Amino acid sequence: MSKSDGNDIDYERDELMLAARRLPAGITPKRDLWPGIAGAIEEKAREERSATDSRGRPGWNRMFAQAAAVVLLVGGSSGVTWLAMKQDAQPMATEPSVGTLRFAPVAGSFGSQYHLGPEFLDARNELAARLDEELARLSPATRAEVETNLETIRAAILEINLALAEEPGNALLQRLLVNAYRDELAVMSRVDGIANSAMRRSDI
Amino acid sequence: MEPKPAAAARATREVLPVTEETSSDELAWVQKAQKSDTSAFESLYRMQVDRVYALCLRMTANVSEAEDCTQETFIQAWSKLDRFRGDSSFGTWLHRVAVNTVLGRMRKSNRERDRIRAVSEVAPVNESTGDSGGLRDLEKDLEKALDELPSGARHVFVLHAVYGYSHEETSDMLGIASGTSKAQLHRARRLLAQQLNVGL
Repeated sequence: MSKSDGNDIDYERDELMLAARRLPAGITPKRDLWPGIAGAIEEKAREERSATDSRGRPGWNRMFAQAAAVVLLVGGSSGVTWLAMKQDAQPMATEPSVGTLRFAPVAGSFGSQYHLGPEFLDARNELAARLDEELARLSPATRAEVETNLETIRAAILEINLALAEEPGNALLQRLLVNAYRDELAVMSRVDGIANSAMRRSDI
Repeated sequence: MEPKPAAAARATREVLPVTEETSSDELAWVQKAQKSDTSAFESLYRMQVDRVYALCLRMTANVSEAEDCTQETFIQAWSKLDRFRGDSSFGTWLHRVAVNTVLGRMRKSNRERDRIRAVSEVAPVNESTGDSGGLRDLEKDLEKALDELPSGARHVFVLHAVYGYSHEETSDMLGIASGTSKAQLHRARRLLAQQLNVGL
């Protein structure tokens, strides 16, 4: 705090200003205000903890949005992959796989009432077993595209499965999960050169 | 220095002067509070509440509004405590938070127009922070008369004349031009002089 401006000096010493300066700087409130402040601080802390938790595990709205976005992304990028792979159809030299694509095992079930059908699981396991070998036959650009697609799909599958564990009866999540599994299988099928997609709604 | 606990601060509040400098105890409490120590923050509250409440009361001229503003000021201060770098005293920093809180609340509502309680109705002043012999008649009348001032003039008078902030500081706190601060002070003095029948 600094002293008053120089041009205020003419009135700084008048009776009114001197009286003002003599007023007490502090006035004690009639009641203790701390409990209300402490409560608000604690509430804020709880909200922050809650926000931190939800950042670790997104809320439903965010999860839905993510899942939907992922499925849209997969649809678009799968198409790109398909086109790229068609261009790669001519024989080419085999390159070693980069080996970064890890295949997460399917739990075999999601929600409380649905199970992945045996046909789907067989096809998926078979494709997964050959995936690295088949990937190595693709051009680096196409392989990177495929790997990105599969990782995106699997992240979506994991997210949706987590969501379904909490809300098994959610029809939207079930549909998103079916689509995600179908996309994953479709990408792997294309890589393997298998024309038919083994997964159908009836498999689930 | 290890800060005293809140209870000790509460007990010693009456004899601690309200200074413009951040004391070493206060600085230690600030540092602990910045690490989310609520007990240290309570100590800061006990040290500063009278000063914050007085400012809020004089600016709002309403007891319940002043209580709300005081609470909100400390809640805001807790949230923004990491921004306090010690460039000014902690008390001055709190005053800035309080002024922002009062102005923010006034902008949100028209409660000021509905104010029904005057400063004269509030609790007795904390004499440890003022004259040892209590308030003289003129000061008592002035405290009452402040309540009747238009808000713009009252805010400037309280910050500049009562708390001694310069026009530059006052205008900065209130978000007005320095010239406006001077004009409002002139207006406040004129109105107060008329009301209190004192010469300028």
